[in-house]
Amino acid sequence: MSRLNMGNRLAGRIADAVLVLAALSAVLPVLWTLVNSFKNRVDIATSVPRLIFTPTLDNYLYVLSRESASAGLVNSMVIAGVSVALGALLGLPAAYALARYPGRWTNDIQFFVLSIRFLPPVAVAIPLMVIWLEVGLYDSRTALIVTYTLMTLSSTIWLAVPAFKRVPREIEEAGVVDGYSKYAVFFRVALPVASRSLIAAVAFSFVLVWNEFLIALMLTTSDAKTLPIVASELTQLGRDVPWGILNASVILLSLPPLLLIGVLNGLLNTSLKKKD
Amino acid sequence: MTFIRCKQLAKRYGEVEAIRAIDLDVAANEFVVLLGPSGCGKSTILRMIAGLEDISSGELWMDGVLANDLSARERGIAMVFQNYALYPHMTVADNIAFGLRRMKLPEEQIRRRVAEVANTLGLESYLQRKPAELSGGQQQRVAIARAMSKTPKLFLFDEPLSNLDAKLRNHMRVEVARLHQALKTTTIYVTHDQHEAMTLADRIVLLRDGRIEQIGSPREIFERPRTKFSAGFIGTPPMNFLEMAVRPCHGGFELMNANATLRISAGRFSLAGAERVTVGLRPAHLVLVPAASRGPQDNQLIGVVELVEYLGNEVFVTLNHGGGELGALLPVRQCPGVGERLSLAVNEEDVHLFDLHSGISLALEAPESQSSLKIVGKARYAA
Repeated sequence: MSRLNMGNRLAGRIADAVLVLAALSAVLPVLWTLVNSFKNRVDIATSVPRLIFTPTLDNYLYVLSRESASAGLVNSMVIAGVSVALGALLGLPAAYALARYPGRWTNDIQFFVLSIRFLPPVAVAIPLMVIWLEVGLYDSRTALIVTYTLMTLSSTIWLAVPAFKRVPREIEEAGVVDGYSKYAVFFRVALPVASRSLIAAVAFSFVLVWNEFLIALMLTTSDAKTLPIVASELTQLGRDVPWGILNASVILLSLPPLLLIGVLNGLLNTSLKKKD
Repeated sequence: MTFIRCKQLAKRYGEVEAIRAIDLDVAANEFVVLLGPSGCGKSTILRMIAGLEDISSGELWMDGVLANDLSARERGIAMVFQNYALYPHMTVADNIAFGLRRMKLPEEQIRRRVAEVANTLGLESYLQRKPAELSGGQQQRVAIARAMSKTPKLFLFDEPLSNLDAKLRNHMRVEVARLHQALKTTTIYVTHDQHEAMTLADRIVLLRDGRIEQIGSPREIFERPRTKFSAGFIGTPPMNFLEMAVRPCHGGFELMNANATLRISAGRFSLAGAERVTVGLRPAHLVLVPAASRGPQDNQLIGVVELVEYLGNEVFVTLNHGGGELGALLPVRQCPGVGERLSLAVNEEDVHLFDLHSGISLALEAPESQSSLKIVGKARYAA
């Protein structure tokens, strides 16, 4: 028996080690980027990586002081924020209707929503560019918001339908018997009960548009440039790659989605524990 | 006073007829149980009364108002669901108060009402917990508390106890009975458990394939089943059915097969013209005939013991009775051995006869007044 136990323990150790290695392979580059973003160029460009150095905020200050970067940050926040909000505002009720009131077209609608994402972005971006040029909204936030809302809508609907289906029907019927209308049941029962999965759906669609590069590249030239575009331009500053500045902009780019998920999670926890 | 009246109430799903034009009256303060096997439509009827399911045709009257198109709120009902259906994101107190908040009552009054209801059901110490932190029995009590809190005109229960274990189920059944005794709210209760139906109901509505098979007090249905289905569904162990030939004789009829002869006096059943009938005998009504008085006598059934099941107070004996099976409930001290040949007697009053083909009872109705049966029903709670 003890031998079996030892075997089990060994297997457990090996599994742990594999998991730790996998986690490190994901986390270390991010940590290294974070560390390097506080380094001067001399501390980065060494043959032996330096762990002890005098930290500096110069890289961040440089990125943030550049007009294009701060404009890109504002653009990204407005465009991603509004398109995610619109996607949730329109997508969650749509998903609920698809989940709870299935009709003859339910499956077709769901497939159509998914099919919006079938075409490669390049194939979509060129016609979109022509359309926005014709309309006179090329290189505007509006154009990107509308375009991105298509993406957030489709991912929100696609992820929220199963979340609403998992809400037991009886719980909603109890709400109806308690005297609430269908709308009140949606807001006061279905939304809160499904909130965890729904927040994941919304966060996912945020990450999707926050990181979007190709369509933004095609639809903007100066005014509406988003952060990924601006960051990519930083590499073209000169012959020397400005590693510190690049690292700082990577960190700045990754922060908003992390903050958003953190805030949403916090909101969720407080709303669930409100009355404790 | 009639509180609920269903007139030709029907439910169709496309071509499928789930409920086939039923007529049902429920009196105020009455406890009616809809009983039947799964898929018989009992929950559908309840959901139509609750307003959760559209009525395909027919009329539903509630408290003198045509309720077909009333919303659930306007019907003044409360419902307890099989899987409790508590709001998982709210505390017990909020669960109970949710319906009251919809009624826009002052918060102070809501708090008092929640405390009152929680007190009745022993939930005071759980008010701040979430449903997930409660046991099944406690969750069911919260569901009942939530239903009670609105002081509804009509209580609807949809198999409320079937998710509980046997011991808890008995306990909660008594609580439901006690609650109805105290509140007197008109109640419609759906179950597939005949034991629950028998112990709780003033009247049982026995359903089969979307049709009402029989309506009556538990005693009425048990003692005078209108069809072979009613007879077989109610009573454990289930009734024995034997096919027998009918022969008129002096003062009545004789029913016979290879191993039994039953003598039935005239006037109890309409047997004129019948050649063969289905005979129904409850296992508990079969009595062992002592070896000394065995013989080719009337009202005795012969069989060979095939299986003996020990039940504690009695044994359930399965006999081979000329090819067919015959079950008998015998006292433990009369426990026979397997392979033994037994002779069982039955009282003439305990014999049920059904038409061989339609399954309809051949008993000539001796109409009994409803009120006397109802008192029997109520007396059980007092005991």
